[in-house]
Amino acid sequence: MTNSRIVHHPILGRLQERGKIHFTFDDNEYIGYEGETIAAAMLANGERVLRSHEESGNLRGFYCNIGHCMECRVTVGNQKTVRACLSLIEEGMIVNSGKKLPTPFKKGETL
Amino acid sequence: MIDVFIVGAGPAGLSAANVCAKNGLKVKVVDEFMKAGGRLLGQLHEEPDGTWWNGIEEAKKLNDEAQQLKVEVDCGVSVYNIKKQNKSWKVYTTKGKFQTKALLLATGAAETAIPIPGWTLPGVMSIGAAQVMTNVHRVKVGDRGVVVGINILSAAITRELQLAGIEVSSMYLPGKNIATGDHGNPILTMKSMLKVASLAPSKLIRIGSKLMKSESLHPLALKFYPKSGIKVWGMPVHLRKAVIEIVGEKKVEGVRVAKVDLNGEPIVSTEEFIPVDFVCIAGGLYPLVELAAITGCPFQYVSELGGHVPVHSEKMKTPLEGLYVAGNITGIESAKVAMKQGTVAGYSVVQDLSNKKEAFQVQLKQAIQTVEETRNQAVIQFHPDIRTGRKKVYMSFKDKGLMKKRDFYGT
Amino acid sequence: MSDRKIIICRCEEVTLDQLVDTAESYRCSSRELKLRTRAGMGQCAGRTCRALVDEIVQKYTNEPTPHDIPLGYQAPIRPITFSLMGEKDHD
Repeated sequence: MTNSRIVHHPILGRLQERGKIHFTFDDNEYIGYEGETIAAAMLANGERVLRSHEESGNLRGFYCNIGHCMECRVTVGNQKTVRACLSLIEEGMIVNSGKKLPTPFKKGETL
Repeated sequence: MIDVFIVGAGPAGLSAANVCAKNGLKVKVVDEFMKAGGRLLGQLHEEPDGTWWNGIEEAKKLNDEAQQLKVEVDCGVSVYNIKKQNKSWKVYTTKGKFQTKALLLATGAAETAIPIPGWTLPGVMSIGAAQVMTNVHRVKVGDRGVVVGINILSAAITRELQLAGIEVSSMYLPGKNIATGDHGNPILTMKSMLKVASLAPSKLIRIGSKLMKSESLHPLALKFYPKSGIKVWGMPVHLRKAVIEIVGEKKVEGVRVAKVDLNGEPIVSTEEFIPVDFVCIAGGLYPLVELAAITGCPFQYVSELGGHVPVHSEKMKTPLEGLYVAGNITGIESAKVAMKQGTVAGYSVVQDLSNKKEAFQVQLKQAIQTVEETRNQAVIQFHPDIRTGRKKVYMSFKDKGLMKKRDFYGT
Repeated sequence: MSDRKIIICRCEEVTLDQLVDTAESYRCSSRELKLRTRAGMGQCAGRTCRALVDEIVQKYTNEPTPHDIPLGYQAPIRPITFSLMGEKDHD
């Protein structure tokens, strides 16, 4: 997906100029713009995956985008369970995806 | 101590806040989203006269007025608990605890899901999510997608996606299963779309209305439903095709679509694969009542209003002293109705906190009447029997009356 | 993919067949179905799947939807930090 920001809109008008913001997601560097959420900035960079399901490892992205479903939860700095759809990116922000966790007590699975 | 604490800075919450502030009350509004406006943000409707109603501008008007009136509007704040304390309410937020005389819950609605195989893949999102990403955050949700679930909300938002230059290849029914319920039924879907015929002078409505005059013609209309779908705003709407699976390894790569019979059952070997990079799921809205539930407020299930709603009166009062509701938490309706309900709630609070109760009788009565007028003029009607639903709730309120504190918190 | 493998509760990855089998065997309430399968017990507290769970229960119990909310809500209704939860009510 190329240039996925909607700069021109027939009714909403032109997207105003905003400052660039640098942040990392799982150690990769990304650029977003002031006022963008983590979910929006990642999507604009072509990245849909925000976490892996803790038990199955299945990949997830944002689903409801307004803070209800918790599917987009990420870790920001040391803060866990941050909703990427409600949190604005900040300069130098370190974001990490939720990872699959070990399930040592589950039947049939080895550590 | 705050006079009135309002949860939700949407059309209802902000309208109520402004009425309260104008009448000298100390008001605080909180919202989880980073901008005030609630789901006004992102809504774009073409009015019958051809002008566009822009929710972002409406939100700005309400918020500017709130700022002028010195209403404290705090965004990015979540409320996680509410407790009754003597004659006041204690509100627990992620930015502190607050004591308030009156509490207004204007938390709006949440989206109902339609589960289909593969719907957890990244790239699958609720239709509302796509609206917010497109019109509020101004990021394209993808290059080409499909919408699953055909209803008033999905039709309106699909048009918004197209306005933003996003290609939506088609709208489909969801593949039928126990949990997709009526959404997968072609006849019921067609009926419900025809009830909102006022929304669009589209081909679907025109063809449909002719055929729909007689109940017995419903199956016939669908039997001869064009294979390529009927175009609404230039996009095919398929009432005889359903998305039976969303496919992709790490994210959405496409959907498997099958023709369905009149009951929505897939017809064997009619499958096709359509490559897309996003899928929107549109299951409709239900009132988001979680905060009302933890206050102990009594509830009523009213299908016309979209589900369970806190019992309340026409004055937007609940049976709990000092607890008010307004907007979609009371039933699914348009944002314009929500604003007017907010005004009613505002006057109710003002009246209840005033020493001269008679003083606000006229304004309150007028505000209630305005809700009714706005409802009658609404271009978008989520449920045709909304008035019946409203009456049911007002009746329950009369039966219950204002409950004594001990009914909920005593023993 | 079989329809019955559809995930209903996204948080806990509870499938349609798990819910249907449990509802069929126990003819139970939404609350019991939640406790038996973990559907609605995850991070979103059932905001996404509660209507679906209720719908499945209704199919097997044939009871009309009750006025009391079938799957209740408990505070905190949003995820909060332990420090926030641990704070005493001073005021």
